Formats: sequence, C-alpha cells, structure tokens
Amino acid sequence: MARDIFRRLVRWEGLLLAILAVIVVVTGIAVPGYLNPQNQINLLELSIEKAIVVLAMTFVIVSGEIDLSIASVMGLSAVLVAWLKEQGVPVEVGIIAALLVGALCGLFNGYWVAVIGLPSLAVTLAGLIGYRGAALLLVGDRSIGGFPEWFNRLGQQPLLGPFPLALMVFAVLLVGATVLLQFSGFGRYAYVVGSSPEVARFSGVRVRRVKLAVFAMSGVVSAFAGVLLLARLGAVRGSTAEGFELDIITMVLLGGVSIFGGSGTMAGVILSILVVLNLRNGLALANATGNTQAGVIGALLILSVLVPNLVAAARSRLGRGGSAEAAVIPKLSDL
Amino acid sequence: MRIKHSTSLSLLAGLALVASACGGPAAAPSQSPTQAAATPTQAAATATAGGVAKATPGQSVKMMLLPKFLGILPFAQANKGAGDAAAELKNSTALAFVGPTADNSVQGQIEFMTNAATQGYKVVMISNNAGDQIAPAATAAQAAGVKVVAWDSPIPSAKGENLFVAQVDFNEMGKVMADMALSIMGADGGKFAILSASPDAANQNAWIKALNDALKDPKYAKVQLVDTVYGNDQSERSYTQAQALVAKYPDLKVIMAPTTVGIAAAAKAMQDGKMCDKVKVSGLGLPSEMVSYTINGCAPQFALWSFVDLGYLTYYTSYMLATGAIKGTEGEQFEAGRMGTFKITKDPTRSAGLRVLMGPFKIYDKTNVEAEAK
Repeated sequence: MARDIFRRLVRWEGLLLAILAVIVVVTGIAVPGYLNPQNQINLLELSIEKAIVVLAMTFVIVSGEIDLSIASVMGLSAVLVAWLKEQGVPVEVGIIAALLVGALCGLFNGYWVAVIGLPSLAVTLAGLIGYRGAALLLVGDRSIGGFPEWFNRLGQQPLLGPFPLALMVFAVLLVGATVLLQFSGFGRYAYVVGSSPEVARFSGVRVRRVKLAVFAMSGVVSAFAGVLLLARLGAVRGSTAEGFELDIITMVLLGGVSIFGGSGTMAGVILSILVVLNLRNGLALANATGNTQAGVIGALLILSVLVPNLVAAARSRLGRGGSAEAAVIPKLSDL
Repeated sequence: MRIKHSTSLSLLAGLALVASACGGPAAAPSQSPTQAAATPTQAAATATAGGVAKATPGQSVKMMLLPKFLGILPFAQANKGAGDAAAELKNSTALAFVGPTADNSVQGQIEFMTNAATQGYKVVMISNNAGDQIAPAATAAQAAGVKVVAWDSPIPSAKGENLFVAQVDFNEMGKVMADMALSIMGADGGKFAILSASPDAANQNAWIKALNDALKDPKYAKVQLVDTVYGNDQSERSYTQAQALVAKYPDLKVIMAPTTVGIAAAAKAMQDGKMCDKVKVSGLGLPSEMVSYTINGCAPQFALWSFVDLGYLTYYTSYMLATGAIKGTEGEQFEAGRMGTFKITKDPTRSAGLRVLMGPFKIYDKTNVEAEAK
C-alpha cells in the first residue's frame, strides 16, 4: 500500500517534470527572450509572494485542512504596515506588528478548527472576508505609498548579483520547508494527521497542537509575503493581493498534494510552481490575454487531476484481464 | 498555435529590422548616442530646421499600447488612432494592443511592463492604472532601453516615465466639472457626489483634486461635494455605488463620474430607478453610450475629448521618441502628422514630469450629442 502511494507520487512528479521540460523547450524555441536569465528572474519575481505562501499552504493541505484566508492576511499585513507608517510608526516596527497580526490571524483560524472542531473551509472563508474587511476599514479606498528608500530598494532592486531579496528569502524558506516536511518529526505528524486524525490521536500525536502550528505558520508566512509584496509594489490599497488564494491553492494541488490530506511532496509542489510560472510567462510573452492564461492553467489542473486517476482506473481494469480499454493508454501517453 | 504565430511574427520583425538597417539612410548621423546601440534603425532619425522635429516614416519600431484594461470603447478608439498613425508612419512592426483584465489591472500592468524589455519592445505606451506601483517596473524597463510614454493617465511621481501625453489640462478639467455641476443644479446649487474609477487611477485622482480646488472659488459657494466613491471601472460595481449614493444622500442632486464606465452605469441606475427627475448624472462620457440618457434628461450634460486623436498623438510622439527624432526633453517641438505641432513642457499639474498637451475637450448636451453619437 505504502509502496503504491510512493510509486504514484514518483509518477506524478515525473509527469510534472515532463510537462515542465516540454514547456521550457517549446517556449524556449518559440518565444525569443524567454530563456534570458533576467526573464527567468522576472517570472519568479512577479509571483514570488504567492510562491512563498504556497510553501506554507502545502503544510495546511497535507494535514487535511485548507486556509482560504491567506490572501486576505497578505493584504491586511501590507495595509497594516502602511497605516502604521501614516500614524508615525517606523516601518521596521510596522513589519513586526504585521507579522504578529499574521500569527494571530493564523492562531484564530487554528483555534476554531483544531480546538473547537469546525471545518476549516468555513472558518477560513470567514477569515477571508473578515481580514479583508479589516484591511479595507484601515485604509478605505485610498492607496498608500511613500515608503522609505531602503524599504523600496529591498523590494525592487537586486540585492545580490541579479537576485532580489524576495528570491533569496524564497530559496531559504524552500530549503527550510522541505526539511521540515520531509525530514522532521513535525512533517511526519502533519502527514499522519492529514491521512487519519484518529490514527494520529491513538498513536500519541498531539493533533490539536500540530494543526494550530500549521495554521499559525500559514498566518505568519502570509503576513511576511504581504510585506514583501508591499516592498515590491511600493504602495498598497485595501484590495492588494485580492484573489491570490486561488492561484496559491492551484499550485499546491497541481503539485500532487491531495486535497484530502496525507499525501504529496515538497518536490512536487516546487515543480508545480515552476510549471505554472513558466507557462504563464511564456503565454504572457506571446501576448496571450489574461483570460487565456487562466484557461490554460485551469485546463492543466483538470488534466493533472484526471490523468493519474484515469491511468489508475485503466490499469485496474487491465489487471482484471480486460483488453478493450487498452486503447485508452496510447491516447493518454500522447499528452 | 499562438506561440508559433508569434515566432513567425518576430522573425518577420527581425528581418524587417535587418532590411531597414541595410537599406535605410544609414549614413545619417546618430541623434542620440546612448540609444544608437539599441537599434540600428534609430540612426535614421532626422531633426529639421526651425526647431520642429519631424518623423522619419518607414522605420521598424516594436511598440506596445497598454491601456488600463481591455474591453471598453475609449481604449479601442485610442487603438484605432494609434493604428492610423502607424499606417501613416509605415512602421513595419505591427502595433501590439494588449492589456490586463479589469479585475487584475494593477498586477497585470506591472507584468506587461516587466516583460516588455524581454519581448523586445522599444516603447510601452501606458494608460497607468497602477498609481506609483508601476514605477519600479517602469524604471527597470527604461534601464533596459524601453521608452515609457504615458497617455490618458500618467505615473503620478513621473518615475519611470519619459513623457505624458495629456488629453486635456488636468487643472482645467476640475473647472469643467464644477461648471457642469453648477449649470445642471442651477443657481440654487446643492449637493453632489463623485463616482470615480479606481483609487489608483492617476488621471481621475488628479481631476478630483482639481475639482476640489476649483470649488473653492466663491462662484461655486452653493455647490457642495459630499462624497467620493469608486466603481473600479466595472459596470455592476459602478451601478450599485450610484444606487448607494442616492440612498445615503436623499437630497443629492448630481452624480459626477469622471469615467466613461461610471457615467453610463450611474445614468442607467438613475434611469432604472426612475430617479432622473431628482438626480442628474454628469462627468466624462462617450456620446455613443450616453446619447439616450442625454435625450431623456438623465445625463443632460457631459464632456469628453477624442480618444482616437489621443491614440494618434501618443503613437506619433512615441515613434519619434523611439527613433530618436525627439529626445523627450523640455522645450522640444515636433510635428505630429495631421494634428499639427506640439511642444514638450513641464507638467504643471504634477510636481515632476514632462507633458505633451493635446486638448481640447468638448461639452455634449442634447443639441449636439446625436450628431456625435453616429
């Protein structure tokens, strides 16, 4: 059983790697400038805040929950730094306050889910609306800019060689998240809690604590990503980061993390981030409209969910000796 | 399919570039040494006697027209004007008219601006909807050799912007709106509210500020601005915002919408609610969209300029800037085809930035709206 899951995961990541290779090769040939190193940095930088939150969201989904409030927390934290700056609070202090508020938002979500036992879909949907509402209350319809030079520079200019700060932060967080999920006790608990909370409880895993920690992490990381977004844009308004949650969840699911929890790997998630960003960049460079980009990525998500299931279904039928269904397989491999 | 198509396009563009570099007046001296390296075609620029620069047609310049978002008529009209100018200037590289969706305008514009250098654009013509949030990306684009020409809506700080092609004088716009409010309300005056586009729209923000300044004139003592709300240039949102204004201020007399999407949505909301006797709508509108509301009295008076002309002038200016015919410095004069001669000046409505002023605007009412709507 465990070996089956392992095999399926390897296959999923292999599929993603193949898709990524096809995207890179085709776009590299067809779209001039795509392989230019600066463009590769640009394509990461344009979505780096989302990619950072994807790392935290992976833990949430692996442990069998969902957090829809992430984008609202990003917006709230960015707005909070700006609003505090207007009240005369230094940006450094504002950032710390924003991270604290992010942690509180996450713990608040986690409390209702882990301690009270409400479904995370409902709790974090309330968070999505509530935290966004708080952001809008703070700044209304205004747009706040005029941050100190050092802050803008960190967000907008390369820090080391061609790499901006956010990219390096992402690299560090990526290593940290991979170690935490795949090679630590906490990571194993998250998988167990996600595949079966009962089994986890009987084996002595502190389910509540794991879930609380996962939500708190999601809140802090989202708040941090919100600050990075603020630094990159140099200005913020109440609707900043609105709608990001869908892109973020898409990347996690495309990475092979089961929406029911308990399975998926960080490697798959990374590949999925690269697939989505490269595909979107290639389409954008070819001047495809935003709607086309969304459509293509949506189709990819549907395919990535369907294909493995179809293959599994076809295999199990073949295993029973049926040969009529064999025709399905060449079609799939054409993809 | 799309990707392949664009390959062949850019291949063509590349060929055209080589061809024009070889066949063009290659002996002409370079006008701006810093840009000469960027494209060989830029060496072909000419400046003429009398201080009025003229364009040299037939050069290949890859240009992007980037509106706030796609899908509304004024921007399509600007694209038509830009296309006219492209045909006159015989630019062998097709104009790209691209833009984000309305709900992703800020992020989308930043993405287009960031990708512009990679895509090999020489000019991005932007109607900025991202406030100063576009400035980092625009500055980076400039550093990579892309000219950034704003039109319709500038970059407020002018950071990352070479020039702004202004449709009208932004300060004058404030007076025009104050006058329309006064003339609709009559000498007794009354309360009015503004229904704007998005809070990051630099042009609308500048006009609202100008309107507030204009209202200080004793002439408008009885004209009272009570609120400013935002419909984000989305019809449904603008419609509900207009309804909310009427509910919030029962004695409201005028909704002033300095956006074509907002004014049409507000007029429809008043018409649907049978409130046109009480609340009138005014602002900036397209005659073709407003004609029925002007005839039935819901929007008795509104103003606008020609977006076709704005697109034409923007293209002309950008082409000359990219080919080195003008450098984009204060005091330069240039001839923009059928529209005549223009001068680059400091933008008096911003603390920084250079401006090319188009003008004028036109006031529409029931005497002239039908003729224009056709």
